[in-house]
Amino acid sequence: MKKASSIRRNRIMGNTAIYIILIVMSIVWLIPFVFILLQSFRTENTWMVGYVIPQQWGFDNYINLFTQTSFLQWYKNTLIIACFNAVLQTLMVMMMSYALSRLRFKGRKFLMNAMLVLGMFPGFLTMIILYYVLKGMGLTQSGAVPGLILVYFASSGMGYYVFKGFLDTIPKSLDEAARVDGATRFQVMRKVVLPLSKPIVIYTVLTAFMAPWADYIFASYIAFGTSSGYNVAVGLYSWLTKDMINSNYTLFCAGGVCIAIPITILFMCLQKYYVEGVTGGAVKG
Amino acid sequence: MATVKLTNVKKIYDKNVVAVQDFNLDIADQEFVVFVGPSGCGKSTTLRMIAGLEDISEGTVEIDGVVVNDLEPRDRDIAMVFQNYALYPHLSVFENIAFPLRLKKVDNDTVYQKVTEVAEILGITDYLMRKPRALSGGQRQRVAIGRAMVRDAKVLLMDEPLSNLDAKLRNQMRAEIILLRQRINSTFIYVTHDQTEAMTLGDRIVIMKDGFIQQVGTPEEVFDMPVNLFVAGFIGAPQMNFYNTELVREGNDYYVTPFGTKMKVSDQKATGLRERGVGSQSIILGVRPEHITQGTPGAPDSFTSKIVVNEMMGSEFHLHTTCPDGSECIVRIPTLKLDHDQRAALTAGHDINITFGGEAMHLFDPETERNLLVDDNGTVASTISEKEDI
Repeated sequence: MKKASSIRRNRIMGNTAIYIILIVMSIVWLIPFVFILLQSFRTENTWMVGYVIPQQWGFDNYINLFTQTSFLQWYKNTLIIACFNAVLQTLMVMMMSYALSRLRFKGRKFLMNAMLVLGMFPGFLTMIILYYVLKGMGLTQSGAVPGLILVYFASSGMGYYVFKGFLDTIPKSLDEAARVDGATRFQVMRKVVLPLSKPIVIYTVLTAFMAPWADYIFASYIAFGTSSGYNVAVGLYSWLTKDMINSNYTLFCAGGVCIAIPITILFMCLQKYYVEGVTGGAVKG
Repeated sequence: MATVKLTNVKKIYDKNVVAVQDFNLDIADQEFVVFVGPSGCGKSTTLRMIAGLEDISEGTVEIDGVVVNDLEPRDRDIAMVFQNYALYPHLSVFENIAFPLRLKKVDNDTVYQKVTEVAEILGITDYLMRKPRALSGGQRQRVAIGRAMVRDAKVLLMDEPLSNLDAKLRNQMRAEIILLRQRINSTFIYVTHDQTEAMTLGDRIVIMKDGFIQQVGTPEEVFDMPVNLFVAGFIGAPQMNFYNTELVREGNDYYVTPFGTKMKVSDQKATGLRERGVGSQSIILGVRPEHITQGTPGAPDSFTSKIVVNEMMGSEFHLHTTCPDGSECIVRIPTLKLDHDQRAALTAGHDINITFGGEAMHLFDPETERNLLVDDNGTVASTISEKEDI
């Protein structure tokens, strides 16, 4: 009895320690978000201040953001890019991963190695040449939105690693069974592999949707000073220059909160599909 | 409802690994053929080539007279049951079975009718709405068989369908496959490494080793007249005993002389040997454990062997004994008529007197390892082809 109670006491102490560490970590994590959120509701002035809790509260910043500035335009740009990217990139990654996971063709190994090596170079090394290519196609400055969609889409196949890793865990005998049952390769993918890959498809959609909101380097280069071609990251950052920051600081915070909204909504909608163990019972288990 | 013909089929993997060599086989309509052999003998590869899941390196596969080498699996009108069931985990049992029909765009009423019909035959009606993960191994295998049955495919391929089941369930499912076979008129090709399954299920058995066909024949043929040492050892459990000994010809009669004894080869076998002009020579003598009986001590046609292990199997003892030359010899002794003293005499450490009749002997050439009564083309000596009564 004595032993059992001491084991229990140890467990409680261990758990308490873990919870304390986790709580401290989550506070550290949450501070910037809370800070931004609080600042976005501060209406007494628009510049940076030395305190956190606003003295006057209100929605002025949000109203100004959408009525007085180009934020709505940037927001729309980014949302369009994000939506296209979420669809196109997911399709591309899916097909790429399926091919590399399931088909055996000449040069498959070489292709995978080549992409691994290419992936080691930072993406913006290609910026200058891509800029000229896009410029030749009329897809820079005010045409930056389709330009960015094109660039993201074209390079998306390289991000196949995680998806392929997941597909590799789906037993090949399922493909074979489906093919014998009368399915074409495409039907195998659509009716068998894809439904089983839901968690990884969701993951791919989310990352593809989120990436454009945070892309600064490439987006700023392509839009190149034309405000109508900015995405939110480039647009908001333009407010942080020395002469702009005092009039736009609280607006910047409100803009930051607005960016989080669609991503959060999308995540919450798709979260429930993160079901583990979907392949249970497929083969012997 | 189809014939399958394999002509000179070969499978060579990259780096020149040959999995299947020169495979020739004619499978008749509605025949049940079993490919059997140890792991890596090429039996599954052959089946997968028929299914279209593996490329055929050389030779042709015909289904109903049509060469299918370049046809996709879906165009071959075959169905297949996999060792690991390969059920679609995201679909209910009903949809799993309906899957091939859905792909063919069969209308809902027909799908419902066919699936329920199949489910009834297999006794899985109660589980139709469950997901595969909520089923036991035996139920899953039934679903997999159901999915293969529902299409009325020309050829039904089964790749070790019972290997993942426990022993009791395996026996039960084996009986069910026999019943199933009577209900549907497909041609069956069944792969297994289990010789019991092969013997009980097959109309004909194809025994393979290292990519080569060793023997094709009915269960009786491969049991009674194995063409070589490998088949003799592979078919039958416990496996056949082998003795290195001499074959002696005296006029029209033949004798074998294991361990200083002299046992007469049966007249029928002797006729076959004479036909082939076999003289006195060294041989490997094969005798199945169930054909060995206890002899009279001191008789010229029996020898003494020492019991090492006695396995009580219920209806019989499996005695592992050591022959005078140190080789192992397994004997099966039915327990039914043994009294207490007789049983006590069959425990480890005791001697047992062994004898066997001339008709139980299998005679193999020690060099070619072939049965002396079977010529190179696999033809059995004419006098032997009618089954001996042993």
